[in-house]
Amino acid sequence: MRRADLVAGLSFLAVAAVYFHQSLFIVRGFASDRLGPAFMPRLLAGALALLALALLARAAAGRSEATPPSPARVRLLAATVVLLVAYALVMPRAGFLVATPAFLAAVLACLGVREPVPLVLVAAGVTAALYGVFGRLLGVLLPPGPFGRL
Amino acid sequence: MLERFALGAQVALQPYALLMTLLGVAWGILGGALPGISGSIAMALLLPFTFGMDPAVALMMLAGVYVGAMYGGSITAILISTPGTPGSAITVVDGYALHQRGQSGKALGVSLVTGTVGGIAGVFLLVAFAVPLSRIALAFGPPEYFAFGVFGLALISSFVGRDLVKGGISAVLGLMLATVGTDPFSGTPRFTFGSVDLVGGVAAAAGMIGLFAVSEIFYQIAEGVDWERIRGRYTTALPSLLELWRLRVATVLGIVFGTIEGLLPGGGGAIASFIAYNEAKRWSKHPEEFGRGSLEGVAAPETANNVVTATALIPLLTFGIPGSNSAAILLAGMMLHGLQPGPALFDRTPHVVYGLFVGLLVANLFMLGLGLLALRPSIALVNVRRPFLLAGILGLVLVGAYSINNSMVEVWIVLLTGLVGYSMRRYGYNVLAMVLGFVLGFMVEANLRRSLLISLGDPWVFFTRPISALLLALAVLTFAWPILRRIREERLSVAGAEQGLAERAAG
Repeated sequence: MRRADLVAGLSFLAVAAVYFHQSLFIVRGFASDRLGPAFMPRLLAGALALLALALLARAAAGRSEATPPSPARVRLLAATVVLLVAYALVMPRAGFLVATPAFLAAVLACLGVREPVPLVLVAAGVTAALYGVFGRLLGVLLPPGPFGRL
Repeated sequence: MLERFALGAQVALQPYALLMTLLGVAWGILGGALPGISGSIAMALLLPFTFGMDPAVALMMLAGVYVGAMYGGSITAILISTPGTPGSAITVVDGYALHQRGQSGKALGVSLVTGTVGGIAGVFLLVAFAVPLSRIALAFGPPEYFAFGVFGLALISSFVGRDLVKGGISAVLGLMLATVGTDPFSGTPRFTFGSVDLVGGVAAAAGMIGLFAVSEIFYQIAEGVDWERIRGRYTTALPSLLELWRLRVATVLGIVFGTIEGLLPGGGGAIASFIAYNEAKRWSKHPEEFGRGSLEGVAAPETANNVVTATALIPLLTFGIPGSNSAAILLAGMMLHGLQPGPALFDRTPHVVYGLFVGLLVANLFMLGLGLLALRPSIALVNVRRPFLLAGILGLVLVGAYSINNSMVEVWIVLLTGLVGYSMRRYGYNVLAMVLGFVLGFMVEANLRRSLLISLGDPWVFFTRPISALLLALAVLTFAWPILRRIREERLSVAGAEQGLAERAAG
């Protein structure tokens, strides 16, 4: 966890630096006040840098709480996120009614559902329910995909 | 005033509005019963549905979810000793003890009835505080608004997350995000990289769904959150009037602490229910029953957390400061409809504000009836296998995000902010402080600059006006308090260690 705070502290320092640098390009308008549009961003960049330094100092002193999650669980989360990203990429092209049951089945398998019958039934059932509520009841134009709308 | 209530009733009592409020309460009970799905998460999941609605109805529905969730949370607290929402955490102690003694139905009935009493009392307190406070807020000038924004940020970042540095970082990141777009004062574009309106109301709403709801799903997957099955059949046994009369002290204490927590930004019903429980024990004629199945031990926290469902709206409606996760979601609901919370809301859109007041009252009455009917469906939902539940909620989030604007942009925002929210939670950052920074950034900066324009650049304007000076002093105090406490604790432990060394050297 100390390492996490070190990494986070350095990242926040970098964010503060980039943000401050970007604030140099803010154009001061004609009708501007004394502080101007760049004041607040620079103040915030300074505040973030100070807080990041405090975080780094604390991490260097070795003071931190919280325990890391188990690697197996983190892999499970990573797999879920990969599936979500794949779904978001594929769904507009493959269509809602094709991509959604496939995605749900994959997530269920990933989360440890081994029996094929409940897996398929739930994947299809959830898709049908979502399609019924959003596609029909609320009239959302869900991506139809190559097979067109039902 | 009376005309406004008539207007509110006209909005809230339309059949369509009643139906949506009913659905909201039912959704809230079901969601609240699921461990991990708090009222605010249940609200976030419903947010996309409310997009096409009349804003007044949308807010009533969302508020109804919050009301229902508080009772839902007590179902799992009583039956499997797992609080469905943080507000029901302390209900576990006596609720579960009652369940073990075979009095589950009575515990559920007391939770339902005292919750309804608390919720209705909360609505009256909300009106009693919010209407006059909004008058005061209208008289606020730029320095007062600036000071109030700073105070709200200090309060949330120092008290909610317990870690001052990480709370501060969270708030500053939110404030930075708020600077993207048009400068609130001179209209100069900032950090837009050429494109206008990078963060609009729709994107903000999607962001809240990610930060609050998706992060929880990720959390449940990564931490392997699991809970017991509910076995057996239960029916709610409503308490008799005599029994309720015996619970009057606990109920009144719940109302008092629910009101205090609602007024102060930072709580979501959890703190009020803890304090109400402890005070009810102190005031009780039978304190020895607490922990072994005292009905007062259920009544006090369940009243308190339902009072908060209404009183938590006071800072949001009057000053535009969301003091809890659920108020933040309600704010997102307002932003989706282009409503700016704050005192002007009362005059500009009275039908929304007063419709919400009447709607909350209706929601509490619905809860009393639905609480009886929804017990069995809630238990069935809690018993659904975890992977099925998580996959179902993920599907709902994805389609919901897409449906806000019929586009994939919101889906990506939800995923990204879900990861951000999970990481923040995982490493002890403060999601609410970031949201508050984002929401208040515009207001704080605009009023800072407006104040200095009025004072011709003299910064003393913030300290010569009494209210603004008081608020800024409070802000400094809230931020300094945890530091002072830590220094004292360290000094004590150093002193203790020195004493120990001295004793060892002597011995």
